[in-house]
Amino acid sequence: MDLFPVWLSLRVALLATLVTVAAGVPFAWLLARRHFPGRDVVNVLLLSPLVLPPTVLGYYLLMVIGSRGTVGRFLAGWDIELAFTWRAAVLAAALGSFPLLIKTAQSGFESVDRRLEQAAETLGHSALSIFWTISVPLAWRAILAGTVLAFCRAFGDFGITLMVAGNIPGRTQTLPLAIYDHVQANQLDEANAMSLVSIGIVMFLMLALGRAARLRF
Amino acid sequence: MLLIAVLLDATGLAGRAQAPSTPLIVFAASDLGPPFKLVVSEFERKTGTDVTLVLGSTGMLAQQIRNGAPADVFFAANESFIDALTAENLTLRQSTALYARGRISTVTLRSSALRINDLGDLADRRVRRIAIANPQHAPYGIAAKQALEAAGLWKTLEPRLVFGENVQQAVQFVRSGSAEAGIVARSVADTSDLYWTLIDERLHAPLSQTATVLARTKQPAASIAFIEFVNGLQGRVVMRQFGFVLPGESF
Repeated sequence: MDLFPVWLSLRVALLATLVTVAAGVPFAWLLARRHFPGRDVVNVLLLSPLVLPPTVLGYYLLMVIGSRGTVGRFLAGWDIELAFTWRAAVLAAALGSFPLLIKTAQSGFESVDRRLEQAAETLGHSALSIFWTISVPLAWRAILAGTVLAFCRAFGDFGITLMVAGNIPGRTQTLPLAIYDHVQANQLDEANAMSLVSIGIVMFLMLALGRAARLRF
Repeated sequence: MLLIAVLLDATGLAGRAQAPSTPLIVFAASDLGPPFKLVVSEFERKTGTDVTLVLGSTGMLAQQIRNGAPADVFFAANESFIDALTAENLTLRQSTALYARGRISTVTLRSSALRINDLGDLADRRVRRIAIANPQHAPYGIAAKQALEAAGLWKTLEPRLVFGENVQQAVQFVRSGSAEAGIVARSVADTSDLYWTLIDERLHAPLSQTATVLARTKQPAASIAFIEFVNGLQGRVVMRQFGFVLPGESF
């Protein structure tokens, strides 16, 4: 079995998870704690990757980062290519896992006792300081659960990745894409081995981390 | 998000993509899967150039090329797709060359009792599903559709058709028993587990399989060498073995 797709998928999922957590946790807190105009719209927008067809997401992402897209053309000026590289696979995976992290972390923030945050506020703490010293430490279990879910979703992304990263062996062929190719080429032993590896990694992460940190998914 | 992804690139996590000698990336229509496995390894052995082969439906690959996919060479299953890319200035026009004419055939599993010897046999009630490549973007799917129309069978058989994303997937539907029969490229049908019969080439527009070097390539010499290798002595031996009619030959 070619191990490249396994390593690529692990790396892509790891980077995508970093992106998702860095961008998602603040959004989750905002949604849990702040009321602002257009909150419903933002909420639905952030949730949409979970319910929209991957083809829709992949298509529009490609229209943006492809060689004819606005971002694609801008980056080309700096000699950076995004579409059909492993970086596009990271973006694709992050996009798909974003809502899972946000929803899980948001419910974690919502279950933090509001009075603790209010007490800190009366003592003169800034919103940022409250976020870091009270909300995040108290909601860490939910944030971690969301992170694990995000990683597993990123690890398994197929549709968005296929459209924006292509399916280039040794470059952008992640594990799910390699499995698809092996099935098409009737190499069922390889498809089987790779599928079992996928199942194994995801089950291990969810069970082992779930147990160790008493996470609830 | 974009920024972070770009920044991480600088941390050296790019993997094989940044290897010192970049392999030649060849995008090829799915019907070329079986012959190109041989052709590519022979080419690599002869020239020392590494080749990464990416198979897919011609339409899908063309669309990826339009959006910036890093292909050096494109082997399409039909020339119209190359013409369209040329009109968009995405090809090296002088490199464009015909490399084969494709043939289609009916297929069934050898282990099944069904024997399809001409298109009319597909009307058999035991044939509940017929796999073809998607005629929206796969040239072999278009040819299959044209053949069924020419034989006056399209209306009857259309409800039984299932579309593979490309010709390789269509033949996989037959192989796995999901479809009782299929109309696919002869090059992917010719295996020991399948029973296949050629379809009269007058029933569909010719599949003028054309290749080109893409304008974005940084390895034009190696790219042209690859096309010339396929059209050269060794390439032709393999292509003929898989039932392609070669440039300069007639049906």
